[in-house]
Amino acid sequence: MNPTLSELEAKATRPAAAFGGDAHIVCDNLVRIYKTEGVEVVALQGLDLVIDKGELVAIVGASGSGKSTLLNVLSGLDVPTAGVARVAGMDLLSMNAKDRLRYRRSVVGFIWQQTARNLLPYLTARENVELPMKLSGGARGRRRRAEELLELLGVASCANRRAPEMSGGEQQRVAIAVALANSPQLILADEPTGELDSETSEQVFDALRKANRELGVTVVIVTHDPLVSEQVDRTVGIRDGRTSSETLRREGAEGQIVAEEYAVLDRVGRLQLPRDFMNALDMERRVRLELESDHIGVWPAREEPSND
Amino acid sequence: MRIWLLARVHLGTVAVLFVLTLSACLLVSGLPRTTQASYDEALRRALTGAPAVQTDLTVTAESFRRGEDLRERAQFDSRERLWRELLPAPLRPLTAGGGHMSAKTTLTPVTGTGGKAYVNLGWLSDADRRVDWVQGRAPGAPATMRFEGETIPVIEVGLVEEALPLMGLRLGQTVVLGENDYAAVKIVGAFRAKDPGDRYWSHNSDILHVIEQKAPGGEDHLRHATTLMSDAGLSVLSGEGRNLAYRWILPLDARAAGALDVPALRAAVAEFDRVVQLQATGSQYRVETALPKLLGDFLASLSTAQTVMYLVLGGLLAVALGVILLAVQLLADKLEHTLSLARARGGSLPQVAGTAAALTGLAVTPAALIGYAGSYLVPGPVLPIVHAGPVIVVVVAVGFAAVRLALVHRTPLHEPREDVASTRPSAKRITLEVLVVVLALTGAYLLRARGLGAADQSAAGQDPFLLVVPIVLTVAAALVTLRCYPYPLRLLVRLASRGRAAVPFLGLTRAARARSGSVLPVLILLPALGVSVFASVISSGIASTQRLASWQQVGAPIRVSSESEIPAATIERVRGLAGVEQVVLAQTGRVQVGYSAEQADAIAVDVAQWRRILEDAPVGLPPLSDGALVSPGLRGRGTLEIGWQSRLKLAERGVIEAVPGFRSEGKFLVVPIGVQLRPAVNTLLIKGDAALPELARLVPSATVVSQDSALRAIQDDPLTSTVRWTLVVVTVALAAYALVAVVLSLVVGAAERARAVSFLRTLGLSEPQAQRLTVLEILPMIVVTALAGLGLGLGLPAALGPGVDLSSYAGDLPVGDYSPDPFLPGALAAGLAAVAILGAYAHTAISRRRSLGAVLRVGDLT
Repeated sequence: MNPTLSELEAKATRPAAAFGGDAHIVCDNLVRIYKTEGVEVVALQGLDLVIDKGELVAIVGASGSGKSTLLNVLSGLDVPTAGVARVAGMDLLSMNAKDRLRYRRSVVGFIWQQTARNLLPYLTARENVELPMKLSGGARGRRRRAEELLELLGVASCANRRAPEMSGGEQQRVAIAVALANSPQLILADEPTGELDSETSEQVFDALRKANRELGVTVVIVTHDPLVSEQVDRTVGIRDGRTSSETLRREGAEGQIVAEEYAVLDRVGRLQLPRDFMNALDMERRVRLELESDHIGVWPAREEPSND
Repeated sequence: MRIWLLARVHLGTVAVLFVLTLSACLLVSGLPRTTQASYDEALRRALTGAPAVQTDLTVTAESFRRGEDLRERAQFDSRERLWRELLPAPLRPLTAGGGHMSAKTTLTPVTGTGGKAYVNLGWLSDADRRVDWVQGRAPGAPATMRFEGETIPVIEVGLVEEALPLMGLRLGQTVVLGENDYAAVKIVGAFRAKDPGDRYWSHNSDILHVIEQKAPGGEDHLRHATTLMSDAGLSVLSGEGRNLAYRWILPLDARAAGALDVPALRAAVAEFDRVVQLQATGSQYRVETALPKLLGDFLASLSTAQTVMYLVLGGLLAVALGVILLAVQLLADKLEHTLSLARARGGSLPQVAGTAAALTGLAVTPAALIGYAGSYLVPGPVLPIVHAGPVIVVVVAVGFAAVRLALVHRTPLHEPREDVASTRPSAKRITLEVLVVVLALTGAYLLRARGLGAADQSAAGQDPFLLVVPIVLTVAAALVTLRCYPYPLRLLVRLASRGRAAVPFLGLTRAARARSGSVLPVLILLPALGVSVFASVISSGIASTQRLASWQQVGAPIRVSSESEIPAATIERVRGLAGVEQVVLAQTGRVQVGYSAEQADAIAVDVAQWRRILEDAPVGLPPLSDGALVSPGLRGRGTLEIGWQSRLKLAERGVIEAVPGFRSEGKFLVVPIGVQLRPAVNTLLIKGDAALPELARLVPSATVVSQDSALRAIQDDPLTSTVRWTLVVVTVALAAYALVAVVLSLVVGAAERARAVSFLRTLGLSEPQAQRLTVLEILPMIVVTALAGLGLGLGLPAALGPGVDLSSYAGDLPVGDYSPDPFLPGALAAGLAAVAILGAYAHTAISRRRSLGAVLRVGDLT
């Protein structure tokens, strides 16, 4: 016999064992509310996200959808209001200031969109890369490591140049080197190619992919750039502070890239229907569901005389 | 992080901070030194101005019987050594100089004169150094003679030259003294003081001059002369049967006195008196000096000066600190990018705050050291504040940098959400603010109510209540300004929103939404304007009262007053003197009121003419054609009858508190000069600028004073001139700080404003509109704060007036006329507004140089 809706709901709300398991990044029902003197803005409203170690993931979404807030939470710059956020086994909600500092120093590195914001203009590229190492009381061999990183990212020639003397692409690649300085396990990039032309974007994205592949670093990129979002294995869409869709790419039989878009079903069984689907069938307020043997059917509500 | 590199990158801001700290430390360390130096100078003048007999410490003892007599010099010397040993430590440096000793009799009658001539016996320990023998010879050893069957001593003495004719004595004459216990003096020489003007003679004026007294109830004159004997004469000088007093004079060296030591000195004098009295060995020793009273008077006038200086210098320090904090805030804003990046990339809070503190320290510490060193170029004693001032400045600046950045970067991501406007303040904060305002008003009321009643406490030191009230008043005014300033602005915004022009609306809206960073400029501008206006009002109050006092003292531009009548021919010559415009004749005298013993001072003068002379003066008289103007002590008697040359009957025509140039207390009256049948003119009231020496030459018997010279004498007092000079320096410094605050607050908000203006320019805002926008944005804060500061500065003297007695700086007249001089406050406010507008225009002119794209790119950080 088919379970009723209430049975399904009861099952969905039952606590599940360790959501996400031992994934590298786990966000479970993450909530972030900005509250300034009585006015609340809900930026994340129950976001779920699981990213495995070594993945290269893009996060896309409209402006104001909450993707930058998510990135700030993951980078340890911001503290979520509720939910679970775990990175490399560290709980971002329960960390104290000291843990958070250690987390920022050794677990995570990040890149902002604005090239000018990532680097100190009066330091050379190498000095910029050395800065995080110095801040964390860095080990010896800072200079060698900085040079290695710049070499790896193809900007060794810029080592002694200051930010204003470099092109935007070079600056962003140096910024990636800065983010990698303390050998983090995770790199977060907020629109790293947002200010760059397509050719330079390509170089910067290549640098990120190189870091991902050669250093085994998990990379999460927030982007609007199709060039980036179409080249990663997984693209997560965020809408209204929730993960709404996921696009997975795999190589097809003939070597072509096959992209499949999925809607995200959260732990309590909520599902976001794509807006154009809803518009096409004029779905509003409520829908009819029917469980079939291998799928669930969704119909617009019947036209019936309203008596409520 | 590399502090030097950061300093190089932000060189401009660091330099501003450096200069501000340097000037603040120089002022805070230097001004107290000059004021203290002037206090010391005032003390020295007060002490040297007083007769030596008042300032010096004199130990006296009287001898009543032979056992108490001191027969030889060694006895005096041993006691002097004892007194010097007993001197308390604070007095020792002041009495280091050599003193002298004396033995003198008083009221020693010449036998057979019936008590009309007195020749006292005197001995001075250093007579040989003080006098020249001009006739005869110096006295030698005493001898004896027979008188009325007894052997009496004959003491060889000398008399001052002028005394011989006055006393009717000649050299070689032997005079028998005493009415029962006889002694004789033989006058062997006449002397003259080597330096009659020496302070030394203040103690021994009786030796230098014959004292004439009117005998009680008779017309006869009693004459007292004091002779000078040799050391050998002491052996026969006995207190038995004579009034013999011994004195040890320890002269006070006023040059070594400092105002800071005054309380200790007063205590030391009392202590010295106590220990000297304990040395009684038959004779009672005691200390005679008016030093405690002189010091007490000095302390009373000093404490007022200190109160005013404390308020003014405290205000200066607060404002200087405020401006330095504003500069630190500017530096912090410039470091924003570096530090937030460092914080995001793993910089700990101590690393981030430490960097800012170190950079601030790098700017302020050398500046403070240089300022501190510079203050040593300023003459004056070193006070604790000289060391503490720079330390306070450095600690506050560095501490503010560290704390502010620690607070800002407490969480690594500190981008405020600008879409969320702030709402009402908490009830707690409002309650606290209301409490402060109520306390301030109550304090001001109590201060006014208590007023001068506390003046007698002034000698005891600073009045803490008096010092706290202005501070609380300033804080209260700042709170009220901050709290109420948006309301009129919102009204304006509402009005502007209805208008068609976009610029007023945008500018005022931006002003109304100004971030809380604008609190600091308000907190600087308010006390800066408040204290500088306060200082200028006090200063002009003192100036006008000094002028009033000088007129009150002289009564005319020039006054010539003589003891005797000034002949008509002389008066005509005075009239003809170059520069003399008008001469009013007056006769002064002491007159009998009615037929009783009551006496009053009278002046007979042509009041109408005198009033014309006083036309431009701050003093005056009511018109009088007949009758008399009387003092309050003579009021209500209807018709007065006075005896002045003849009997005069005068009707009372009015009551006056003072007659300028003559009397302000006691009983006095003014009568028209026409009532005298033959006026004996002894006073000339002159209008014009005739040369005083010329007048003095024309009227040799008279004293010539001018209002100018009286004013100069009042102003010349070191305390007075320092108070006024410091007030001027502080006013200028505060005005400069206020301007710097305006400029800095413009620069602090520059990046944000440039971004906003650039956005608006993309929407079609023209450059002149952008300039007006900037001016409109900054102007309301400055105008409101300037008005509040003006109000505070004008209100403070009124609130404190009765509590701060400035009369000692204004010729002993109470300074009550704090009529605000409209020029200075107006100039200050206008200057501020002008600088704000210029700054705003300059600012937009500079930002115009950058291309729009670059500004937007630079601004687009969030």
